[in-house]
Amino acid sequence: MNPTYNRHIFRWAWGLLLALGFSSLANAFDLQQLSDQLAKPEVIHGSFVQEKHLRALPQPLTSKGSFVLAKNHGLLWLLKTPLQQDYRITGKGIARRDGSGWQMLPNKSAGAEQNRLFLAVLQGDSSGLQRDFELALAGDAKAWKLTLTPRSLLLKQVFNQINIDGGELVQRIELLETQGDSTLLKMYDSISNQPLSDTEQHDFAE
Amino acid sequence: MTLPSERWWPRLFLLLLVAVLALGGWQWRHGAPLSANLMELVPGTDPDALELKAEQRMQEPLNREMLVLVGHVERQQAIAMAQRLGEQWQASGMFEKVQWNLQADLPALRTQLLQGRLAMLAAADRQQLIEHPDAFIQQRVQALFDPFSGFSLVPSQDDWLGLTGRIQNSQPQRGAVQLDIGSGTLIADADGKSWVLLRARTTGNAFDMQLPLQVAALLQHSREQAAQADVQLLAASGLLYAANGQQQASREITWVGGGATVGILLLLLLAFRRWRVLLAFVPVLVGMLFGAVACVAFFGHMHVMTLVLGSSLIGVAVDYPLHYLSKSWSLRPWHSWPALRLTLPGLSLSLATSCIGYLALAWTPFPALTQIAVFSAAGLLGAYLSAVCLLPALLRGVELQPAQWPLRVAEWLVNLRTQLLKRVSSPWLLALVIAFCAGGLWQLDSKNDIRQWIGAPPQLLNEAQAIARITGYQPTSQFFLVRGADQQQLLERLGALSERLEQLVNLEKLQGYLSLNQLVNLPSEQQRLRQALDELPRHWQPLLDLGVPVAALNAELAQLRALPGEDIDAALQGPLAEPYRTLWLGPTDNGVAAMVSLQGLNNPQLLRVQAQDLPGVQLVDRLGDLNKVFAATQISAAELKLASCVLIVLLLILPFGFGGALRIVALPLLAALCSLASLGWLGQPLTLFSLFGLLLVTAISVDYAILMREQIGGAAVSLLGTLLAAVTTWLSFGLLAISSTPAVSNFGLSVSLGLAFSFLLAPWAGRQRHRQPAAEPVL
Repeated sequence: MNPTYNRHIFRWAWGLLLALGFSSLANAFDLQQLSDQLAKPEVIHGSFVQEKHLRALPQPLTSKGSFVLAKNHGLLWLLKTPLQQDYRITGKGIARRDGSGWQMLPNKSAGAEQNRLFLAVLQGDSSGLQRDFELALAGDAKAWKLTLTPRSLLLKQVFNQINIDGGELVQRIELLETQGDSTLLKMYDSISNQPLSDTEQHDFAE
Repeated sequence: MTLPSERWWPRLFLLLLVAVLALGGWQWRHGAPLSANLMELVPGTDPDALELKAEQRMQEPLNREMLVLVGHVERQQAIAMAQRLGEQWQASGMFEKVQWNLQADLPALRTQLLQGRLAMLAAADRQQLIEHPDAFIQQRVQALFDPFSGFSLVPSQDDWLGLTGRIQNSQPQRGAVQLDIGSGTLIADADGKSWVLLRARTTGNAFDMQLPLQVAALLQHSREQAAQADVQLLAASGLLYAANGQQQASREITWVGGGATVGILLLLLLAFRRWRVLLAFVPVLVGMLFGAVACVAFFGHMHVMTLVLGSSLIGVAVDYPLHYLSKSWSLRPWHSWPALRLTLPGLSLSLATSCIGYLALAWTPFPALTQIAVFSAAGLLGAYLSAVCLLPALLRGVELQPAQWPLRVAEWLVNLRTQLLKRVSSPWLLALVIAFCAGGLWQLDSKNDIRQWIGAPPQLLNEAQAIARITGYQPTSQFFLVRGADQQQLLERLGALSERLEQLVNLEKLQGYLSLNQLVNLPSEQQRLRQALDELPRHWQPLLDLGVPVAALNAELAQLRALPGEDIDAALQGPLAEPYRTLWLGPTDNGVAAMVSLQGLNNPQLLRVQAQDLPGVQLVDRLGDLNKVFAATQISAAELKLASCVLIVLLLILPFGFGGALRIVALPLLAALCSLASLGWLGQPLTLFSLFGLLLVTAISVDYAILMREQIGGAAVSLLGTLLAAVTTWLSFGLLAISSTPAVSNFGLSVSLGLAFSFLLAPWAGRQRHRQPAAEPVL
């Protein structure tokens, strides 16, 4: 068993978020429409609330911040409270910012493959998504809900289900783990009419 | 014409033959007692039982596992093909286990991680918990919020301190192979293709005679199947080398054995023009039988390489009947028994000198040569006995009328020599020969490497290298063997070694290593960690601030304190321990022992230094040791050669006197020197095997000198006898030179050269008999 595999799974989840922005889920009419709809914006700015619901805690671990999703660059995930921490996901991997700048998270040798996988999803490798998950779409363009149920044995041991809700843009991602914990990402105030700022471009470029 | 005793000999011999046949039949009752294990042939460098066990343990996967990379530009295609092949292989029944995807047992993994929270926590994490508990807690809080440290195998409420996540992340990474989470396959990307890892473990090992061939055939079939879908397969396994070796051996036995047989039979027919003379081949068959039976009796089995080299015995065995058959040119009328009587002393001497030569090989530390020596000596004895006891009876009543052309050839050669000697006298010729030798020896290079034993085709080597490059998995043949009085001491010593190896890894001299101390901590370290837990409540406020109930934290602490100390055996239970299990050798006579395996080494010399002044730590470098043994053996081989010569001189003093004996032995030695020089002129390296070949040729060619010196039937007839003997021997040994195993081919080449020079020099054996009548044997 590869000990770093939880990272894989987790990047999968992130990949999903991004993939839904750009992928062409060439299945039925609905999925195709959804893909086209999500693929439109070049850059999305928004805020998020992340709730980690741990079975043993009465209250979820809640964190807040903002994000920037750029079609040709990747994702900036800027955690503001209760801790301040910036993350960046690009084709090169995941980086975390410390006092001296962006530090790539040590992937050991696992990095190359994870990035490849991640990029595949980023670039809309829908075949990969559909191979590993059953996709079910409900609702309409203004309010839709996409449910992903894992097909592969390995994924089934980690996820029960992944739910994604949205309208024009993705609004809510819920990851239900088999162990009873769940993570809820709520994205709000998303706007798609603002280009990357100089700072953001710099962050992606660095 | 036939003495009374000569009536009994054939019957007695037939009795012996039946007995040997019965013994042989009994030996083969469970099938052919053949072996293809290369390691049986090379010298044992250290008889230490533990080291041997460790070595076998390290080699076992090589001999039982096959590693295949299934590559295609499209990842999905590669995965699909890997799955298809995996299922086919599983169904083939050849494999105990075929793995193309990981069926991870996550519950077992969780249990192991939870149980091992104290025992498996890595040094850096331990140190932080003990010395900087604030930082430790702070990191845990961060990790709980970190969206990218994500999903741990163990849910947070079972491990608030996050120890299992740290253990997971500190396990050493192996290679560049990644888990494809969807399919569960292991994939590496290289050369623009995705390579899916397919591993198969056979039911038997590479030294079964059938299995490697079956596996190779299955692989070939799979390759063709894959190629249709444009999928490329790369494979590496000891089984493939074994299969290749076996195919090669049987091909070579056919060529060498068949070629020599056909050549010799043809020669017999052409020279003696009687069908019954083909019976002269009976001693050859009897010799083979005796050799095989003796070999199995001594060693329990026979190696295929012994068969390859042993097939050259054909040419030597046929010399015995040739000894008296060739007298038909001078002895008129020729009858079998009188001809035998005339040549019996020479035959017996020839047997003795050849056996001395072969048995000298037995004293080298090479099991391969010991086997060949026993095979050959027994074979020669069998051939001699059948030539002496049986063949004359079979040839009774045959009147040989040999063709005259061989004699004319011999006479022409004798004349040629006389002509030559008229112009240039012997001392001048000797000076020329010595100049030739000196020039050749000057250019002679010595080269010894275990790789000469393996005639592996470049394709197998290339694929193995490609796999190592793509997967980053480069196991080395060297490993460390570490002993300790108990587990505590063993883990301490492993820790000390790991520290040094870590430096090599940081200097990029070593890619990685695997050691038990990466899996389980010292009992005393576990105890220290347990004590440090008492400090944590003073520092865990940040966790409480998140809402973690204090009762939950206290409960976890109590649980951790209650965790039993894990020893190596316990730590090896869970799924995370899988790669470590081979490393544990368990209890030994005086303590416990384990191995440390290495990856991607580029300088073996550095390893030796690491083991220095670390008690209980030993580097096992079989290949390096073997190459040293090879070099050392070259010297002992030369000594053996001299010793065997002395023995032969002693033996020959009786019939030929001291001067004669010395001369008879000096000629083969000179021939050997000429062969060495020829190797130099030809630009061929001197290997241990060419030296062994010369050792052998010295013994065989003493025979030629004896034949020439005896001069029964005149110079031309004797030269003809020598020529026939040399040609038949050359037919079998010379054919070895075509072998694709460098060792065998070297052997064949040096024997061929030696024979040629021995034949050329043989006439000088008798030159002085007229000047020194005192030294004449009474024959």
